[in-house]
Order: sequence, then structure tokens, then C-alpha cells
Amino acid sequence: MSKRIVVDPVTRIEGHLRIDVEVDGGKVQKAWSSGQMFRGIETILQGRDPRDAWLFTQRFCGVCTTVHAIASVRTVENALGLEVPLNAQYIRNLIVMAHAMHDHIVHFYHLSALDWVDVVSALKADPAKTAALAESLSPWPGNSKEQMKAVQDKVKGFVEAGQLGIFTNGYWGHPAMKLPPEVNLLAVAHYLQALEYQRKVNQIVALLGGKTPNIQNLAVGGVANAINLDSDSALNMNKLFMVKDVLDDISTFIEQVYFVDVCAVASMYPEWLGYGAGVTNYLAVPDLPLDTKGTKFDLPGGTIFNGDLAHVREIKSFDDPYFKENVSESIAHSWYDGDWTKHPYEETTEPKYTTFEENRKYSWVKSPRFQGKPMQVGPLAQVLVGFALGHEPTKRWAVKTLDTAGSLAKAKLTPAVLHSTLGRHAARMIRTCVISETAKKHWGLLAANIGKGDTTIFNPPVFPKGEQRGFGFHEAPRGTLSHWIVIQDGKIANYQAVVPSTWNAGPRDAQNQPGPYEASLVGNPVANAELPLEVLRTVHSFDPCLACAVHTLDPEGNEIATVKAL
Amino acid sequence: MTGLAPVRVLGLGNVLMGDDAFGPWVIEDLLTRWEFPQGVSVVDVGTPGLDLTPYLADAEAVFLVDTVKADGPPGTLKVYSRGQLLARGPQPRVSPHDPGLAEALFSLDFAGCAPKEVTLVGVVPEKVEKGVRLSPAVRAAVPAASEEVAARLGWLGLRPRRLAGRTTAPWWEAPIPEAASA
Repeated sequence: MSKRIVVDPVTRIEGHLRIDVEVDGGKVQKAWSSGQMFRGIETILQGRDPRDAWLFTQRFCGVCTTVHAIASVRTVENALGLEVPLNAQYIRNLIVMAHAMHDHIVHFYHLSALDWVDVVSALKADPAKTAALAESLSPWPGNSKEQMKAVQDKVKGFVEAGQLGIFTNGYWGHPAMKLPPEVNLLAVAHYLQALEYQRKVNQIVALLGGKTPNIQNLAVGGVANAINLDSDSALNMNKLFMVKDVLDDISTFIEQVYFVDVCAVASMYPEWLGYGAGVTNYLAVPDLPLDTKGTKFDLPGGTIFNGDLAHVREIKSFDDPYFKENVSESIAHSWYDGDWTKHPYEETTEPKYTTFEENRKYSWVKSPRFQGKPMQVGPLAQVLVGFALGHEPTKRWAVKTLDTAGSLAKAKLTPAVLHSTLGRHAARMIRTCVISETAKKHWGLLAANIGKGDTTIFNPPVFPKGEQRGFGFHEAPRGTLSHWIVIQDGKIANYQAVVPSTWNAGPRDAQNQPGPYEASLVGNPVANAELPLEVLRTVHSFDPCLACAVHTLDPEGNEIATVKAL
Repeated sequence: MTGLAPVRVLGLGNVLMGDDAFGPWVIEDLLTRWEFPQGVSVVDVGTPGLDLTPYLADAEAVFLVDTVKADGPPGTLKVYSRGQLLARGPQPRVSPHDPGLAEALFSLDFAGCAPKEVTLVGVVPEKVEKGVRLSPAVRAAVPAASEEVAARLGWLGLRPRRLAGRTTAPWWEAPIPEAASA
């Protein structure tokens, strides 16, 4: 007898995500992913000056402001064939890398670790044993017995006061929680430390971008950071060294804490290296350009189909026709008028809401496809593509992760285990380690280039009469983000954003191929239909972020995620 | 966050979503028509989710401006204290948007650096949907919200000075040039 479970909302904001699963024999048999809000926000750009597009697009979303800003300027630059000075590339690269490190740390510690960590169990831990365990794994100075005791006392204080503060509403005591008390305590201690470090790394975005969220230093053709080593108001030696200090600090945290914690969690939930693969077609775009034209990159991109790492195809430039010509979106199961599959340049956005009909239309999210196939995007795609292409730092960190987690679990782990729910968390951490190293390299490249006397930051755009088309992409924390523009006589005629969560959270397409969220849930165990922690674990591993939208405070209401077992 | 004063006025909201732009709109208004003493930072923070935490951390007092889901006709101003904002407890967190103001405050409580004073000046919206204009009722509430913030800063001895003859014109409401509509 199958049972239908609806988790709604999975994300609580307006425009939230709803997940339906059909469970039979303690396992998910079918799943549906539905975006519950109309976006279509791109139409706001029609008729505007393409030079302003990035200001508007970075307000699509409150969290990923930087990524939409970067994708947007690249899109207009692509349409005009405009080159970007080296300093501007490096400054942009440092901003996107700092943003990505911040985002990944927040995702692991503050948004998803509590799917695996039982905060209440930490009260039973022996702080001395926790410290001994931690010190056996890492030289991190924040693991002492005194520090563990202080964190435990803090949690105890909250519990004795009759509330758990920020930890209220977790699935504490759930049978799928398996970490020993000592590991739970360690994770709670690192949750606190991560809160401080994610703030710290975000300072780089604020220092170079002027502000975060919503950076202010971009321009189509470059950046607006005046470079003058002797001026207080410009990018000077002092600011450059502030950036370097933060990069050094954050790399210590990432390598000595984040890396170790993910390996430890993976080793204690080995079964989750077997669930949640879903769609094993992967798409990543190259990023961190090293030249003015966008033809050389520090992070590779490409495609992999059916998990076959031996046949990776590389995406080589900001103008690669392999990417440009193969992206389309289907609305077969989305609440838009019609039933078409179109290239982003040709798309329209005409809402037509019906109701949730699982065999017809059931989501506001469109279904992006690459050569007609659903693709998984995100850090896992990025790491697998990098691994398959022999990208040295990706390979080194991936091997180190598999070896470390494997030796803790006393098992031999191969890259195949990465096609999984926990594999996505591991890949996000691997990518963070790679980026942390690469950020220090790009700091050096920027300093050296300025040292050579090059202070150019901007090539002014010129808009010819007639039509230009362009696309820009960015390998954002959640995966491949692309913007598409049609410019007519210097004004925006059409604009489309194909965002990472659309690739992953999209519904079935015209061929009834499920999207990555939907496919990844099939086969997951569900121990208790009233508390479907396992479903949340898999969806959360993608770092869902559907909104690109709105946020209204509700100080009087009491909205709580509801789980309906039907 | 680098360079923030101990007392902060933060506007929350999405400028592309109609009345949700109220917070950023009031910030534009405050920065255009008022001059602030040292010790006060005034920032449009958009819709930051957990990224709100650095703006709140280690502050003495924080004044937030946002749309609120509350009873009353559109344009009604409502003021909430820290206790009222925290009364319902944190919500489950899934996406980075989810940790809202309450969650950011709870996190900072746990970390030991939450601001002591938190005041929310909220407005009841008419329409929170795609668009770059405030509805007339909510637009009309902007000056009163600015006054409310100024008065409350005054109670802390940090009253801003009113500047005469200035008109607030947020960038996101700038008209689309003529040629565009052709």
C-alpha cells in the first residue's frame, strides 16, 4: 500500500519548493518537485539600458546577488565582443571565490549539517573525549577540551531555560541520526566557529565589491575599483593585504575544520554514499578567467553523460558554441501557456496557472535541458568534470577526501561514491578547498599585475545600431548560471536567466524525463512518514534556493513547514 | 562587517517586487533627506537571509524597516520590539533565504554577539508582486517611516538632521527611456 507524503514548503520563503513523494515498502518510488511561485522577473529588464542590467539582476535573489551581477555583465560583454582588463578579471574572480567559500560554509554548517547532527545528543558527550577525537583528526586550535565544554554548557543553558534557541524545530532523536554524542558536540562547536568564519570571508566581497549583499563595483567592461597604491580611497596596498589576511585565515578553517568534518560525517553515514544519485548527466561551465577574452580559465567546465567520466567534453570559452547551441527549456509540465521546448533567446514567459496535476502541469519552474537531456549542476558536476579533465587541484583534493573518509570508515572509496547524497556534500567541500587555494593564487596574480604598473580596470562598451545577442555564464555556488540577452538598438529586447536551481529542481519534460531532485529521491529509505528526514537530506544536499524573489517578514504569524502524509 | 557604526538602520526587501521595496525605499529617503551623526550606519541590505547576521552582530541598537504580514489597511505602520520579533521561535532552515530576521538573531544569541536593542518599523503592503513601483498607500507611508526612525534615533541622542529641498528618487524607479517603448 503506497503512501503519499507532501513536504511543503521545503523552503519557507515565498516562491517555495514543494516535494511530493510516493513511498512503498519503506522506500520512495516516485517523486515530484514543484516551484510554487511565478518568477518571470526578467521581464522587468525589457527596454532598459544593457549597462544597468546587472543592477537589476542582482536583485533577483537576496543571497546570490553577486552571481547574477557577474553573469549579467558577462552577458552584455559577450553580446558586444568586449574584452575585460586583467585587473578586472582578477578582482571579479576574488569576489566570486570569496562569495562561494562563504556560501558553501553556510550551506554545510548552518543549513544542512543539522540533518545529520543531533544537537540534543551533544549534551551527553564527554568534552575531553570530543577534544581527543578532534585533535586526532586535525591540528585546528579550536578543538580544546575547554572550548568543547564551553559549547556544551551553552547548549545546556539553552535547554535548561526551556528552549533551544536557533536549534528549535530540528528532528532531534530521529532514528536516522547516527553520530555518537562526541561527534555531535564537535559539530555544534564548529557550527559556532563557522558562523564567525563565513562572516569573515564575506568581508572580501564587501572590501572589493563595496558592499554585500548587492556589490557596487561592477561595470559592463570591467570594474569600478580605482587602483592606486598610494590613495586611501582606492584599492591600495592596505586593502590588498586585508584581503590576503582573510584568505589565509579562511584557508586554515576550510582545510582543518570543514574538510575534516565532511570526511567524518561521510564515514559515519556510509549508506548515504549509496542513495541519491539521480540524474548522472553533469554540466559545469569554466570559470575564473585568466585572460581578457575569456578563453583560459582556472576552473574547467564541460559535460558528462550517464556518469561516464571517460567521455567528458570540455566547454572551452565564454563563447563556446557547444554551450550556446545546446541549452533549451521545456514547459511541458510547467505553468506556462503552451507546450514547447525553446532556446533561451527565443523564449517567452506567459504564465498560465492550473493546479498541481502530477501527470500534466505542476510547477512554475521550467525544465532546462542540454541536448535534450536533464543535467545535474552544482559542485558535484564541477568536481566530476574537473576530475575527468585531470584538473590538478580538483583531483588532488578529491583523492585526499576519498582516502581520508575511507580510512575513517575502514573502506576503500572510489569516485563512484560521489554520485550520491553525501557525495554532493563532499564535492561542495572539495570545491571549496580548490577555490581557497585558487583565491590565494589570484590574489598573487592581481598584486603582480598591479606591480607591473598596469592599473587598467575598464574598457568602455559601445552599442551599435541593430541587434546583438549574447550569453554569459558563471559557475555559481549552486551550479551553472547563464543569462541570455537580445539587444536591439542599444536597449534590452529580451532577457532570460537559466539558474542552477532550475536545472536541478525542474519538473519532468516533454519526454517525461524527471529532473535531478525528482530522480535523486527515488530509492531513498523513509523510516517514518511523519518525519521524512531522509527526503530532506537528499533535497538539501543540492543546496536548494528557489526564490530569486521576495522576503516579507511575518512577525505575527506562525508559518511552519508542514508535512502531510496522505 | 567592516566599517559599520554601533547603531544601524537597515532596509530589507526586494526592489523588484512592488511593495516589498519599502525597506530599501525608506533607506533611500533617509540618505537623501537626512544627515546622520557619526555612530549611525544606514544601509539597504536587500533580502539577505542569513547574510543579515554580520549587519546585526555586535551592534548596540538596530532599526529595521521592512514590509510585514499584519492586519490593517495597506500603508499602516507597525513597530515591533526585539521580544515581539523573537516570540514565535526560529523556523526550520532549508535554503539560505530561510533564516530570516528571527533566525539571524537567534544565531547571534547563540554566538553571544546579538544586538540588545532591535526595533522593526514595518508597513502593511498592498501588492508584493513583480514590479518596480510602490503602491500609492505604501509610498505615502515612506515619510512617516523615516520620521519614526529619526525620532527613535533621537531617543538615543543620535537624531539625524533634516535637509531641506531634497527629493528622493530611487534608481530602480527611474523611468525607462523613450526609445525603449518604441
